[in-house]
Amino acid sequence: MSGVNRRDFLRRSSAGLALGVTSGFWSDLLYSGQLPVASPALFEERFGISREDMRKILGIALSKGGDFSELFFEYKVSNSVRMEEDIIKESSQNILLGVGIRVLKGDQTGYGYTSDLTFDRMKQTALTAGAIAAGGSGSIAVNGLTDRQLMQHVYDMSSPFTDVKLNAKIDLVKEAYTAAQSYDKRITKVQAFLADEIQYVTIANSEGVMVSDVRPLAAMFVSTTAEEKGVRNTGFKSSGGRVGMKHFQNVETPKQVGRKSAEEAITLLSAVDPPAGEQPVVLSSLNSGVMIHEAVGHPLEADGNRKKTSIMWDKLGKQVANPIVTIYDDPTIPHYRGSINIDDEGTETRKTILIEKGKLVGFLQDRLSAKVMGMELNGHGRRQSYQNNPVPRMTNTVLAEGDALADDIIKSVKKGFYAVTYQGGQVSDAGKFTFSVNMGYMIEDGKLTRPVKNATLIGTNVQILNEVEMIGNDTGFFLGTCGKDGQSAPVTAGTPTLKISKMTVGGRG
Amino acid sequence: MKNDRGTLMSLSEELLAYGKSKGATQMEISISDGSEFSVDVREGEIERLVEAGQKRLALRVFVEGKVARASSSDLSSETLRKLVDNAIERAKFATADQYAGLPEKGIIMAKHDELKIFDPGILEMPPEKKIAAAKETETICLKDKRIKKSYGASFGTFAGELILVNSNGFSGSYQRTSCSCSVGVQTGEGENLFDEGWSDSSPNLDKLMRPEEIATIAIHRATRLIGGRKVQTQNVPVVFEPPMTGSLLSFLYTCVSGSNIYLKQSFLTGKLGERVGSDLVTVIDDGLMPGGPGTRPFDGEGVATRKSTVIESGVLKSYLLDTYAGRKLNMKSTGNASGANNFYLAPGKHSPADIIKSVSKGLLLTDTIGFGLVPTTGDISRGAVGMWIEKGELAYPVAEITISGNLSQILTGVEMIGNDLDFRQSISGPTIKVKEMTIGGK
Repeated sequence: MSGVNRRDFLRRSSAGLALGVTSGFWSDLLYSGQLPVASPALFEERFGISREDMRKILGIALSKGGDFSELFFEYKVSNSVRMEEDIIKESSQNILLGVGIRVLKGDQTGYGYTSDLTFDRMKQTALTAGAIAAGGSGSIAVNGLTDRQLMQHVYDMSSPFTDVKLNAKIDLVKEAYTAAQSYDKRITKVQAFLADEIQYVTIANSEGVMVSDVRPLAAMFVSTTAEEKGVRNTGFKSSGGRVGMKHFQNVETPKQVGRKSAEEAITLLSAVDPPAGEQPVVLSSLNSGVMIHEAVGHPLEADGNRKKTSIMWDKLGKQVANPIVTIYDDPTIPHYRGSINIDDEGTETRKTILIEKGKLVGFLQDRLSAKVMGMELNGHGRRQSYQNNPVPRMTNTVLAEGDALADDIIKSVKKGFYAVTYQGGQVSDAGKFTFSVNMGYMIEDGKLTRPVKNATLIGTNVQILNEVEMIGNDTGFFLGTCGKDGQSAPVTAGTPTLKISKMTVGGRG
Repeated sequence: MKNDRGTLMSLSEELLAYGKSKGATQMEISISDGSEFSVDVREGEIERLVEAGQKRLALRVFVEGKVARASSSDLSSETLRKLVDNAIERAKFATADQYAGLPEKGIIMAKHDELKIFDPGILEMPPEKKIAAAKETETICLKDKRIKKSYGASFGTFAGELILVNSNGFSGSYQRTSCSCSVGVQTGEGENLFDEGWSDSSPNLDKLMRPEEIATIAIHRATRLIGGRKVQTQNVPVVFEPPMTGSLLSFLYTCVSGSNIYLKQSFLTGKLGERVGSDLVTVIDDGLMPGGPGTRPFDGEGVATRKSTVIESGVLKSYLLDTYAGRKLNMKSTGNASGANNFYLAPGKHSPADIIKSVSKGLLLTDTIGFGLVPTTGDISRGAVGMWIEKGELAYPVAEITISGNLSQILTGVEMIGNDLDFRQSISGPTIKVKEMTIGGK
């Protein structure tokens, strides 16, 4: 409705989690029997695109006078299995294949994409993307492309889903489903969903760099509805990351996922509406990373600061938070949902400190913003697919832990609200955010009392950063899918238990 | 685009035959073939230009009541055949479901030319004119001194064709176009900033708002928020501006859509024939409205769209169903396999000004943010901004508040409906006044 870009983070969506390949398909179509390896050879061998062709296309893209051209080749196979109403309802398999061609001229972007990987079609797409520089003439020579090897490996490739047969995946889904259903007799509905994907990318640019990555992603998602005396409530739980089968055997089993989802639904049966108004709020470590993601992460993405629309654009080097607050984004945490070896512009990723002891020290950069702002790249240029140009994005965003015990934090509140799980959150560039809390508790005299549902937390970026009063020693992570500029990206966000001295809680209490 | 239709049609037919030979008892193939153009301008300069074409094939196979889906943007025959082989193999692992399957044969479609969803003028529009329209929209906004920053303006066009064939003998295709223009701006001072904007879209170029109309609305929406402040926590009447009624209707759509009904995940489950709203409330889904943003001759399964009355004078008359949901509920598909068609609240007789005048103390809701919508209960809890109403007049802007209520209570509490229904989105509504909601503030 409004023309404004909002950034959001959604917990319950299974969209964008799709993943998985039947082993027969994988080995037949790609490497027979081999583990997926990052190699430009995929596009060369399978689709007949030589690096000489790539070099030519990069040159054609600059023929009208662009400063920089880039090819982003993508081949992604996503699989899913869904169980509801006690049956395996359906499975799906989706293939995404194509190339996105980008040309930069100053701070202008020309973009074209095609799923037709013939030379002629790529040439035409390159000319379209290059038209952004219309009026100029090509002066930049694109020399040979040099392979750059990956310097880090942050995915768990030891038990890839590409080797897992469909019936084994169905067993995982059934295990989660049954665990949720048998948790309590008041459970009336369960939906369990397993998605797995493998994404191959090859990025080549006019600076002569060519680099490839193979990214696995798996996610299980269970939603459970409980009903009693005409009251119905739904609980959710997801689990996964850049992982394979072992995650669901050793890290978090489908049974645990199913039970957690059911537990939330049952707790909500006795929940009341929240007391509305301004009050102290304690954010649990379980899921509250969404707050850091919305309130701090988005305003520190470089594009909004380059364009001076973010509330933070003129605050670099300044104290923006209570000095107990340190916040960073780390794409290199092993096996996490938001982790990536390289970003979608081919830049090696690295842990990036955003706020250090309350002082703003960095932004999340992509190539365009870093160049215009004269700052260093840090590997945060991401895109949903070859159909999108990269923009600065978060990966795994974390508020560093302190030393308070969660119990002591709760004890310090006479009357307030304890937020546990969320449906999602949203922030505007102006720094105003909203979180929808699925489940929380009232705090009365330092103790958690009644469960609470349907609460909304609102506030501003500046306010929350300055009103963080206590920080726990118990970091937890929230798994989600982040939306920005119409593009989704897998992310996580982590935080320990936090006490915010006051926030506005919305509800009907 | 036209040159490809024959090729894509025969590709679909070929794949259908292949699937049947490999053991599919039923099969459906759809292909979308579209091209997009978009330009973003900011501070008078082109920031991004995107131009691209894209084909995608999606299929469903049924093997004796067991279902599998697949899709691909790689349309090579080798990949597609492999995809069909895999889908048939996977289907065997699903559970047989007596309700699964293609729609029955014998579907009569509306004539496309009466639907007015394809405008050749959009294909002919030169890129320079699109760029100029975006620039003009932004320029008008920036001339207003109260507008401090621009997020930029965009102009986009899309033209595409959809082809659908199935093994029950259905074979259909239609073309559609759309164009859109939008702008985003920021107002306010210091740390008290407000983002707003406006966007419009239409299948037809001559129905799209002019740059000056879009800019005027964006300026009005942004500048009225300057100085917005919190109010006390309280229960008051709330007037929904049309885009907010639209947002409420999107939630209502979720609550009447088939899968949420048979899964009992909607508070409206089992309420057919019952009173669910005040007698002013009539809600309709119409897939055949000429020139409508959600108009289509058939849905994603090839079922002809139609006009369905969902709520009539407050009584729940129909859910919105695809074929599967229809069979589960022992009803017929309503042609909603692609979601809402043109879903709207029928307009009333009051002018928006009269509605505001009727409120002695309350909120004019202009925007919400957040996700707080729970279909299971109908509960709503979101961040909100708007204008405070005192004695029938707009008094001052409010910000950083929450609004909460319950869809069931809101529908029952609709006291006045505006005469200002303007179909700009596939889900649209006029101004409404709701008896009471909770505002969370100070």
